[in-house]
Amino acid sequence: MTLSIEGLTVSYRVPGGTVTALSDVSLSVPKGRTLAVVGESGSGKSTIALAVMGLLASEAQILAGRILYEGTDLLGLEPNARRQLRGARIALIFQDPFSVFNPSLRVGEQVGEGLIHHKGFSKKAALLRAIDLLHEVGIDDAAAVANAYPHELSGGMRQRALIAGALAAEPDFLILDEPTTALDVTIEAQILDLLDEQQERRGLSMLFITHNLAVVRRIADEVAVVYAGDVVESGPTAEVLAHPLHPYTKGLLAAIPRLDAREARLAAIPGRLPDLRRLPTGCRFERRCPFAQPHCRFPQAIAAAGSARAVRCVRASDLATSAWPKARVVAPPPRQQPVAAGPVVATDRLAKAFTLTRGLAALTFEGWTPVMRPVRVRAIDGVSLTITRGEVLGLVGESGSGKTTLGRAILRLVDADDGTIQIAGEDVTLAPQNTLVPMRRIAQIVFQNPDSSLNPRKTVGEIIARPLQRFAIVRSCEVAGRVRALLDLVRLPVHYADRYPHQMSGGEKQRIGIARAIATDPQFIVCDEPVSALDVSVQAAIVNLLADLRDRLNVAYLLISHDIAVVAHLADRIAVMYRGRIVETGTRDEVIMSPYHPYTEALLSAVPTLTRSDHDRIHLPLQARRSAGTTGCVFAGRCPRRIGTICDTVEPPLRAPRPGHTMACHLPLGGVVPTAAETVLSVGPSAEPRDAAHLRSK
Amino acid sequence: MAEQSPESTAIAPPRRPMSAQLKAGLLIVGTIVLLSLLAPWIAPHPWDTISIHTRFQPPSMTYWLGTDDYGRDVLSRLLMGGRLSLAMGIGATVISVLFGVPMGLAAGYFRGNVDEVLMRVSDVLMAIPAIMLGLLVLAVMPPALWKTAVAVGLVYVPLIARVARSVTLGLTNEEFVQAARARAENALYILFREILPNAWPPLIVEASLRVTYAILLGSALSFLGLGAQPPSSDWGLMISEARAFIDRAPWIALAPGFAMCLLVIGINLIGDGLREQLDPRLKGQIAKA
Repeated sequence: MTLSIEGLTVSYRVPGGTVTALSDVSLSVPKGRTLAVVGESGSGKSTIALAVMGLLASEAQILAGRILYEGTDLLGLEPNARRQLRGARIALIFQDPFSVFNPSLRVGEQVGEGLIHHKGFSKKAALLRAIDLLHEVGIDDAAAVANAYPHELSGGMRQRALIAGALAAEPDFLILDEPTTALDVTIEAQILDLLDEQQERRGLSMLFITHNLAVVRRIADEVAVVYAGDVVESGPTAEVLAHPLHPYTKGLLAAIPRLDAREARLAAIPGRLPDLRRLPTGCRFERRCPFAQPHCRFPQAIAAAGSARAVRCVRASDLATSAWPKARVVAPPPRQQPVAAGPVVATDRLAKAFTLTRGLAALTFEGWTPVMRPVRVRAIDGVSLTITRGEVLGLVGESGSGKTTLGRAILRLVDADDGTIQIAGEDVTLAPQNTLVPMRRIAQIVFQNPDSSLNPRKTVGEIIARPLQRFAIVRSCEVAGRVRALLDLVRLPVHYADRYPHQMSGGEKQRIGIARAIATDPQFIVCDEPVSALDVSVQAAIVNLLADLRDRLNVAYLLISHDIAVVAHLADRIAVMYRGRIVETGTRDEVIMSPYHPYTEALLSAVPTLTRSDHDRIHLPLQARRSAGTTGCVFAGRCPRRIGTICDTVEPPLRAPRPGHTMACHLPLGGVVPTAAETVLSVGPSAEPRDAAHLRSK
Repeated sequence: MAEQSPESTAIAPPRRPMSAQLKAGLLIVGTIVLLSLLAPWIAPHPWDTISIHTRFQPPSMTYWLGTDDYGRDVLSRLLMGGRLSLAMGIGATVISVLFGVPMGLAAGYFRGNVDEVLMRVSDVLMAIPAIMLGLLVLAVMPPALWKTAVAVGLVYVPLIARVARSVTLGLTNEEFVQAARARAENALYILFREILPNAWPPLIVEASLRVTYAILLGSALSFLGLGAQPPSSDWGLMISEARAFIDRAPWIALAPGFAMCLLVIGINLIGDGLREQLDPRLKGQIAKA
């Protein structure tokens, strides 16, 4: 065993008591293997990483346990010896590649930093080694990247550079705390590949912390599921995911929307984590567990189940074959078919560009001649789409593809530069803001971040009542009643009206955001990443709620998400967006099952799933091989199926392989397309000349 | 429905108890305010009766804080002067908040030209030393206490506006403001009902700091003869008059100086304490682990 944690108990002093973050956690990572720790937010998984690194906050107390690293107890070491170990033998990679780098130091310096401290390299030697390392993690123009500042790199590049930095001092143990959560799926797939490759080459052992079970299946040999500071189940990944024993694991697995099997409703785990200040004495999952029985109130011990597995549930063997209960669709009202009354939203060649540098910042010199050259980014670029009543249009794409801007431009929250928007038949493109009241009543929005979308100074009642008053939807004496009805509609108890947003969990806040949007009785709602900030179990409940509301209120959604599985679960039609353009649209099944556009294909294949094997994955180059020109296809620079110069020079026409299915690509529609395996592009050096394209071109 | 009780029934976190600094601040400032308000009734001696016989008496049982160069009881003058100083500080701050907050909100929310015009104007105001600006206002009009308060208030408008603007800049991007715009709310509603309640915490701290500066600046103007007029007893004026006798009768200057110190500390404590008390998000952090 490289690392073994025995009976670790950690608590935090907080105002109003002590939070037990970890209770009696035992884990072990064999040499050269990967252990994944999975759990929802608040389960204590990051505390494990920090405890191993010796980076716990000062409020934390280690009450019991040992952390053995190759036989020595880390907790018994002196601070100095501990520091020697940190970085040199054990390295940590954090979640957010955007905030870990110091913005005012060059990347190369930061990658090589560990060498100077741990190996006594000179500055120059460290920089040279850093360039080697950057090359090793798949960055082609390593010297240029080493010389760049962090803000000049994209998220995927930064995460690669961080990994290079962590590997610098040749550690043999890597702790990764949600290393891919902040990244797009296509980039995530590459980072996971990179980790695999490095593990093989260096014989690394890894402790991989994540909330994403599909990522676990992809990378880990063994998995430990933590819940409220307890390890509830552990064992080999394949077995645990295929035959989960603990009800919580079953619930987590059932809550994940899948691309291949579409249920009417997702299974959700009701309730929330127990209050960590006053932990229940019995099973901590009991209150949320559909299989709970009276004797679950007694403390549960972790018990071996089979040769390599352990589970903390007395009923595990009884329940071995019972699945998490399927979500019931209670009396599904017959879904009203879209009325042929014309689309509720229609945009025509909508475009919006942002100027990144204005004023003096745009001033550059050509020789001695000053030129004003503002940097402009086309966030949305000629988007035409229609959404009919009661229809869900899913909009997917990587971050930065303009999804959010499109949603806000349709609602006139940002003003488009070009094109037209029609909402419920009315052209609202140029209407002044103060004449938009009828449109605003028809079209509403649900935001991504439940913490920021509710005014923290207002009670839930005030938040929901305001749209009712603003649009005079009900008489003032009926407002309170309608607020109660709306709370009921989003399945929150009526007494929540008196609460402030900070007194609720993320999922509950998101319900309030939805209640506020449906208060105006809209025909159309932009759902901008409505579940991406939520835990899987809560996400399922919100997705179900959105589905119910659509059926009940016959409201249309523009469902924006980077998570194709969520979109595929809810959407009737899917539009795929890349760099401000819609590259493919079609019905849900057409796009998911038989995509035409190479980008859609790559996006779908990058999604980590619980079932499919990974061998046929399409690898997209991290960055465009050339910066996108003004002509040609926006995707040509990264396209695995590029035909030839036509892709770089001629804008692909919008073609319809099937009625209602459109895509913008030069590929022959009927022609046999090469299989993915043949077109796999390595991430490594390529023969094609590269310009400074890996420096972020936006 | 599919799941009747969503992630429900967490107990609302307990109301944050008043912090020690807030209590201390309230105690200090409350005492000073109370004593000042009751001054006419509790002052042991008349504050303006001149008596040659009792000049420069050191603190004693009769004159707790001694007497000044005209033989007036320093304690009584201190109590009466507290009223003017407090009125000065609070009045000036109210004026600067009244003008500065809307200015800052508008500049931060509308950006563009509105921002440029308002902020350049406030830059100009800030470039002039505060005391000069106060002198300027008072020079064109005969001095009176309320004019001093207005002058001092105007001096601090740009500072309050700066703070309000920077908070607004951050809050404008919050999604709840976008949600208000998606309800076609007008700008006034968004500024005063959505943004302002969230902008209060830093503004309160800034304003409480301003109260103390305003008292000091008002005192300075009084010291120069432009604020409270003798025989009124403003704390600044008292120090200014006592300056000449600081070697012979230090108590005359020390008493108002010390009182001012206490008031400033008290108000700052309240400001800091209020910021924590008022921020609901800070309370929510208890539950995080």
